[in-house]
Formats: sequence, structure tokens, C-alpha cells
Amino acid sequence: MNLFRSGEHIGRWLAGREPGATIPVGKLSELARAWYEDRLSPDWRPHTRDGNQAILDRLGLAGDLWRLPD
Amino acid sequence: MNEGDLALRNLTYARFVELGRAPTAAEVAAVGGRSRAEVTAGWERLHAEHALVLDLAAGEIRMAHPFAGVPTAYRVQAAGRWWYGNCAWDAFGICAALHEDGRIETSCPDCGEPLRIAVRDQRPDDESLLFHCLVPAARWWDDIVFS
Repeated sequence: MNLFRSGEHIGRWLAGREPGATIPVGKLSELARAWYEDRLSPDWRPHTRDGNQAILDRLGLAGDLWRLPD
Repeated sequence: MNEGDLALRNLTYARFVELGRAPTAAEVAAVGGRSRAEVTAGWERLHAEHALVLDLAAGEIRMAHPFAGVPTAYRVQAAGRWWYGNCAWDAFGICAALHEDGRIETSCPDCGEPLRIAVRDQRPDDESLLFHCLVPAARWWDDIVFS
């Protein structure tokens, strides 16, 4: 789960491996906020699988790569 | 997760932030009213529930997402300290968890060029960068360190 300068750099780094998912860093920051903003709250409770999937879905992260295991 | 383990998890995270690094079992035991063995046993249950990631051989915290217990390629300056994130996602996650602006330092895995990102109001100052996730979500926890 890395940051790259561009899609060209991702392609070179993959070196023939099957690509995963690529999103803009702005979308990543939205994902990180939704995923982690409660992490240090004294009221924190474990996220459920469905709750986490809802975060991904709400951000438009669709497709098999973003599908959490049942 | 029972209430006792939830309290241990919250205490462990609180100590992580206070210390600026992963606490040892002894450091959590010293403030948690538990023995070191009880802390370790609780951490192992939290590890099984993916609430922490332990180095099981060493009995130490490897990850308390988004914080890394060991040096990584993602350094984050926030809240007056340097932290390590487990990955790019977690680097932003540190700013989100702390509710702080910050600065992320890493390098492009392809060319090695330094990447420095300021995070203000949870947004990056450079929107041109791309994030790549190689492993499907269904397999993240097969090997969370690699993922």
C-alpha cells in the first residue's frame, strides 16, 4: 500500500505483476479519515465488517479488490 | 471483545500516544492494574481479533493501526512527534487518529525520489500522487505485514 509519483511509476514497479487498485491520494486521505478518526476515542468500539465495507462503498471504492471477506 | 480486553486495548493505544512508540507489556502493566503476563495474554487475544498485531516471537507490538511499532518507509510528523505508519494509508491515518495536521515523508517505491506531503485539515497538499493497493481486501489479513 504505497504512494507513487504517477501511473507510469506504478507500472514499472509492478514489473509484470497483476495490478491492484490505484486511487488518487486525495481519495486515500478521505479513506484514512473515515477508517481511523475514531481510533483513539475512549468510546472506540471494534468496527464491524459491514461498517468497514460501508466506508469503502461510500467512497466509491468498488470492485473485487475492495470487497472485504464475509 | 469483552470489556476487559477493550479497556486493555484503549490503555495500550493511550500509552502508545503518550510514549510516541509502542509500549512494552511491562509499561502497560505498570499503569493498568494488570500483571505483565495478563497484559501479554490480553494482547494475544486482541491480536487474534485483529485489534493489534503482535510480533508473537518477541511478545511486542508490531502494529497498532495506524501506528507502526517498528521503523517503516512512512514517517509522519504530527502532534510534535515523529511516528511511523505501516503504509501510505496508515500515514494519513495517523493524522486522522490524532486529529492533527502533519507531514508525511516517504519515497516513490519505483524511482526512490523523496515524497513529502503536508496534511492540512486531513487533506494532502499535493493531489498529484497516486496510491496503489496490490493485495485484495479479502486477503489483507492473510499477511497483514506484507499487505
